[in-house]
Amino acid sequence: MNLANLSLQLLTGLQIGAIYVMIALGLTLIFGTLGVVNFAHGALFMIGAYLGYAISEATGHWVAFIVVPVLLFVIGIAIERVLIRFFYNRPAVDQILVTFGLALVLQELMRWIFGGTNLPYGTPDWAIVPVDIGIGYYPPWRLVIVGVTIAVVGALYLFLRFTRFGLVVRAGMRDPEMLGYLGIDVPKRFTFVFGLGALLAGIAGVIGGPITGVTPDIGMAVLVPSFLVVVIGGMGSLPGAVLSGLLLGEAVSLSVLIYPPSTQIIIYLVAAVVLLWRPRGLLGARGVME
Amino acid sequence: MTNRKPPLSLPLSRRAILRGSLAAGAGIGALSLGGPPLVFARNAWAENYPAIGNFPIKGSTVKFGFTVPLTGAYADEGNDELKAYKLAVRHINEGGGILSTLKPMSLKGNGILGKKVEYVSGDNQTKPDPARENARRMIERDGIIMFSGGSSSAVAVALQYLAQEKGVIFMVGLSHSNDTTGKDRRRYGFREFFDAYMSGQALGPILAKEYGKDRRAFHLTADYTWGHTQYESMKDATEKQSWHTVKNIMTPLGTKDFSQYLTAVLNTDADVLVLNHYGADMVNSLTQAVRFGMRDKQVNGKQMQIVVPLYSRLMAKGAGPKNIEGILGTVNWNEKLTDPGSKAFVKAFQDEYKEPPSQAAQTAYLQTILYANAVERAGTFYPPEVIKALEGFEYEGFGPGKSTYRAEDHQVFKDIYVVRGKAPSKMANQFDLLEIVAQVPRSQVEYDPKMMGGELGPYIPNKT
Repeated sequence: MNLANLSLQLLTGLQIGAIYVMIALGLTLIFGTLGVVNFAHGALFMIGAYLGYAISEATGHWVAFIVVPVLLFVIGIAIERVLIRFFYNRPAVDQILVTFGLALVLQELMRWIFGGTNLPYGTPDWAIVPVDIGIGYYPPWRLVIVGVTIAVVGALYLFLRFTRFGLVVRAGMRDPEMLGYLGIDVPKRFTFVFGLGALLAGIAGVIGGPITGVTPDIGMAVLVPSFLVVVIGGMGSLPGAVLSGLLLGEAVSLSVLIYPPSTQIIIYLVAAVVLLWRPRGLLGARGVME
Repeated sequence: MTNRKPPLSLPLSRRAILRGSLAAGAGIGALSLGGPPLVFARNAWAENYPAIGNFPIKGSTVKFGFTVPLTGAYADEGNDELKAYKLAVRHINEGGGILSTLKPMSLKGNGILGKKVEYVSGDNQTKPDPARENARRMIERDGIIMFSGGSSSAVAVALQYLAQEKGVIFMVGLSHSNDTTGKDRRRYGFREFFDAYMSGQALGPILAKEYGKDRRAFHLTADYTWGHTQYESMKDATEKQSWHTVKNIMTPLGTKDFSQYLTAVLNTDADVLVLNHYGADMVNSLTQAVRFGMRDKQVNGKQMQIVVPLYSRLMAKGAGPKNIEGILGTVNWNEKLTDPGSKAFVKAFQDEYKEPPSQAAQTAYLQTILYANAVERAGTFYPPEVIKALEGFEYEGFGPGKSTYRAEDHQVFKDIYVVRGKAPSKMANQFDLLEIVAQVPRSQVEYDPKMMGGELGPYIPNKT
């Protein structure tokens, strides 16, 4: 084991973490703003992957990268209008049940349309041949994922921090009732935020699909680690999600070097340790889900 | 009005006459032979067997149970198996398929012992516990006389123990672990599919011939009974060819992203990657290994190679032809075989489902027919008699040459195949993904039943 090899394993951890972060971002945004624990988020990721496959087969990858997130935004808005908005004032259990049910419906819908077989969703041609990055050869696509994740996190931060809409969203997280009295159409903002969360799932699906594979059950498969990322980071905290996503990615990657079988439990182990130490998660705020 | 009465009275009287003569015949038979009335064949005799499991059967139909994975890592295989089971039931009831090619064949295409076959099916999620619950419900609620299914050897082993406990025969579907007919062999379980040991024996010499003797292999292995035994078998077979085993990492069944394991492979000087994966696991690990450049890489001055010991067309399709081109592995059966049985089965399957069957479908179909045939030959559904009819049964007319259900471990022995992924440019159609490299003779893959240990257990359950 030399330094280059260790760096390679660290890079793999970063890349695994990037996928976790991508999925967890939308999840934590929706929870932080709307207070809804969205169990259908994995299913939105899965739909992103399926659409990514279908559209890239028909028109090429670049079109898919643009069109899929937009489509998911529209799907997200439709879901919020038709279903989710009726559950804002109902107990968390109801919200979990309805989103979980939605996830199952979407999953079986995709199985119905595309069958249960994995669809060979390839990367673009320029990303097929591994590149030499000084410490060894690496699949370019996984580097792209890291880059896209950094860009998305940055854009989301700027959007929430420096735009008027972001200000309203953040205010809405604090006190939606007061915001309503001030003459701001809160439900409309909520719809938009849910659409934005779905859009993030779409980006994750369209770029993550070539790695996770495209099957009806990938939604559920990515949902569990993503929820752990959100919980470890602190419910509703975007920086927390980024931090814990990277932490879990590195934990998974490095545990292979130390004791391979432990990769199967390492994320749960990290979750247990972090939550014992900080019950609200790494950067969790007081009063959330308490 | 006038002809109302005669039709009513006539059959009644004929039946009465028949009944009388039957009774008389039985009496004469018993008297003359001084024992049971053998004239009336084994059907009548069946009533004298004690009840086991869901035997004796009440009514004019008999029910099979098919528990297959419709979700989980082996969902593709499970879906294909279910299609094959439905086809097998239809052929048993109505004739067709391999009923005219398999020898010896006692089925007449009118059900089994005159009873029509029905079936129930369920999703076992590729997991032993749901599978056991699934099968238990079929046995206790639906009253099935036989069940079949898979995939996953973990499921197969769990169901074999259930079969033995309940006294209901289990015809194993897709299962490739040595344990299934090795240390976990059961009197009530039968496997037609080949096993990991046979794959290793068949593949070893061909790997050495293709890739040379001085190779260093890294294994990634699905973490359950099948993966474990395949790793052991491949390790033995390749080390016999003086390959060196660098390391093995167990990966959980259902893993989506293998990058952390693949990076660990790159961190060694291994020049062969052996993927002891199947189904969706193999699709993911192979695709990702190719993306990590493992097929273009030079290690120790040699071209790095990937080996997939257990191949299937469904996986080849999932991984895509570009990724499987040139990769070697073994299969139990292939839809391109030209023997009359394979042709009849492929045609029937293709007519029904518009695509050729996989090897998972083939073993599922054959197992169902073999069970039905054994019952017909035994003349009874009484499980111990059916088991005896299957033990040591030799047959041919479906797949390669003569096959034998070995009595000592309930494993079928026959020739198996080494295959290679076809180049996309050479594919005749979208299903034409694998080419047969060699038909490995049975003698090369056979082994002593004592080698793997295990006890079949008693013919009559609950008396262990």
